[in-house]
Amino acid sequence: MRILLANHIHNARQSIKSNRLRSLLTMVGITIGVASITTILALSAGANTIVRSQVDALGGNITIVRPGAVSNSSLDELSQLTTPTQFEASSLTALDIKSIQALPHVTAVAPLMVLGGTVTGDSEASPRTPIVATTPDLELVNNIGISEGQFLDDTLNPMTAVIGPQLSIDIFGTEHSIGKTVHIKGASFTIIGVLKRQNNPVNYNNVDFDSAVFIALGAGTNLNQGSLHLQQINVQSDSVEHLESVITDINKALLKTHFGEVDFSVLSGAQIAKPSSQLFIAIAGVSVAIAAISLIVGGVGIMNIMLVSVAERTREIGIRKALGASNGDIVAQFIIESLALSVGGGVGGFMLGYALAFIISTFLTFDPIITWEIVGTAIGISVVIGTLFGIYPAIRAARKDPIAALRQYE
Amino acid sequence: MAKTETPPPVIVLKELKKSFGVGDAEHFAIDGIDLTIQKGEFIAIMGPSGCGKTTLLNILGLLDSSIEGDYELDGVSVDSLSQRKQAHIRSERIGFVFQSFNLVSRLNVIDNVSLPLIYKGLSSMARAKKASKILHDFHLGEREFYMPYQLSGGQMQRVAIARALVNEPSIILADEPTGNLDSHASHIIMEELSDLHQKGNTIIMVTHNPDLTTYASRVITMLDGKIDTDTFRLPLPARHSLKRPLGPVEKPKSKKATKATTKTAKSTLAKKPKIKKEAS
Repeated sequence: MRILLANHIHNARQSIKSNRLRSLLTMVGITIGVASITTILALSAGANTIVRSQVDALGGNITIVRPGAVSNSSLDELSQLTTPTQFEASSLTALDIKSIQALPHVTAVAPLMVLGGTVTGDSEASPRTPIVATTPDLELVNNIGISEGQFLDDTLNPMTAVIGPQLSIDIFGTEHSIGKTVHIKGASFTIIGVLKRQNNPVNYNNVDFDSAVFIALGAGTNLNQGSLHLQQINVQSDSVEHLESVITDINKALLKTHFGEVDFSVLSGAQIAKPSSQLFIAIAGVSVAIAAISLIVGGVGIMNIMLVSVAERTREIGIRKALGASNGDIVAQFIIESLALSVGGGVGGFMLGYALAFIISTFLTFDPIITWEIVGTAIGISVVIGTLFGIYPAIRAARKDPIAALRQYE
Repeated sequence: MAKTETPPPVIVLKELKKSFGVGDAEHFAIDGIDLTIQKGEFIAIMGPSGCGKTTLLNILGLLDSSIEGDYELDGVSVDSLSQRKQAHIRSERIGFVFQSFNLVSRLNVIDNVSLPLIYKGLSSMARAKKASKILHDFHLGEREFYMPYQLSGGQMQRVAIARALVNEPSIILADEPTGNLDSHASHIIMEELSDLHQKGNTIIMVTHNPDLTTYASRVITMLDGKIDTDTFRLPLPARHSLKRPLGPVEKPKSKKATKATTKTAKSTLAKKPKIKKEAS
């Protein structure tokens, strides 16, 4: 059987070689399909790991508290993506911040209150510019670097602000904007610091720090007609080992202040990244489904060419049968030929897909990722397509009546 | 029809019928044939076009299994064999030679000859060795890597015969093997078949050419799907055969002779006995 297989492969190579252009064009169909799927998967895998790696980069001792209970359905998690424009009233309060701060092993607590509103410097910023009201602890928890000046400080005048480098350029035309005045929702703030560029538009804070402006929590509350509205509380524990106990303590403390109502969730590690991962997976899924259509078209192309090939070689099939080939041998011969076409196209598509992904990633903030799953998917898809669309022509070949086949062209 | 006890019959046909079409258009290409073929016979089947010669040959070669009546090959009814088993028998026991050679045009000579060995499951090395050996036996050793279109008709038919024989089948079915060849090439091909007959193979040959029946040990003429005449006689064991190979003198130089002697041998076949006399 093994010998036969080697022979079928040899045969397929010969037949593809003798119809070079035709085979190449057929392969292109599969190549395009597999290339687009590979590109999408590689990029989405890359995007998936961004948030994850951010959490890991912070040392693994971070947990975040979000309003609303955790849902178990993955579809709900999609809609659970907290955005600055979400309208739901937050269940987190100033009391929660205090009770978390009082817990043992908690080294830093940074509540995030994201506001919308006009931000004006020399020119007006985009209306979607996030205004982040927080505490000085954010610098510690998120490991934010300061390129100039300092971060927020409770001891300073509350009407001071720290600005992201991109926002600084947008509204002042320079990254060096210390001492300038920025108008946030009508109030004037003096800039005391500019952040280092982070280049992380997608992160677990759901805020692009590069183009955000940071003010003290009290000032933010005042701008929001005196009401506190927390999107998230970032908590840092003193070590990775204590993170578990900190999470348990936070749960207990908040349950008490919320009178036993589970209207909050404490997330850590992979859980933090999950909603955004889910979103990427969903986007990738939809794109892959669209790309799959091109694969079907490619598969039909293979089937078409295989039918032509079978018709052309009717006589050869007759000869082979007369010389002792069984129907199974003929089926195997033609299936392996269509497999050769589809796998050849698939391998080409896989490489092309990665090349494309790398080219595209130069315009993005993350790199594509090569995983065994993607290699397996690409090869698996081509094998399935080759078999699926090769089976009918192969069976047709095997069913040919040897006498009629031999009489052809006589 | 008399039956012999000594050699067991290779092929037994009983009331064999084969029809094409249905209803009013039904036409019996073979209309009730009883035939017993012994091992080592050289049978020539003659008859006008459309009398069912080729159909009979296809049935004997297991290429056509939708038949009425009974066909026993080596005592086993073909009806009871699966398709796979039939393919196996074609591979092991039967060698086909066609009028139009039927070489696979995109394969070279040695690949063509080793084609039947593939389905026997031999490794590529063993295939090449065997094919090469048989090509040498047929004086085609130098043509191993030629493509079929680079060969003359006679050479192509010899390649086809080599291919039919490479599996060492006991039955050789030849459908007008010389139909597309000139008389000299025909002569050479018939010599090859005759040689095989001497070695004890069963040969069944369909032909239009009455001259070729001289090579056969038994001549069957068919008419309208029935056996018309049959010169049945008890076959002699091969080594005591009265027939002697006709061309041992010519054979060694047959390759060159193919072209060189074409002119002189224009009428070879028709006046074969005369030439033999001259040669001796």
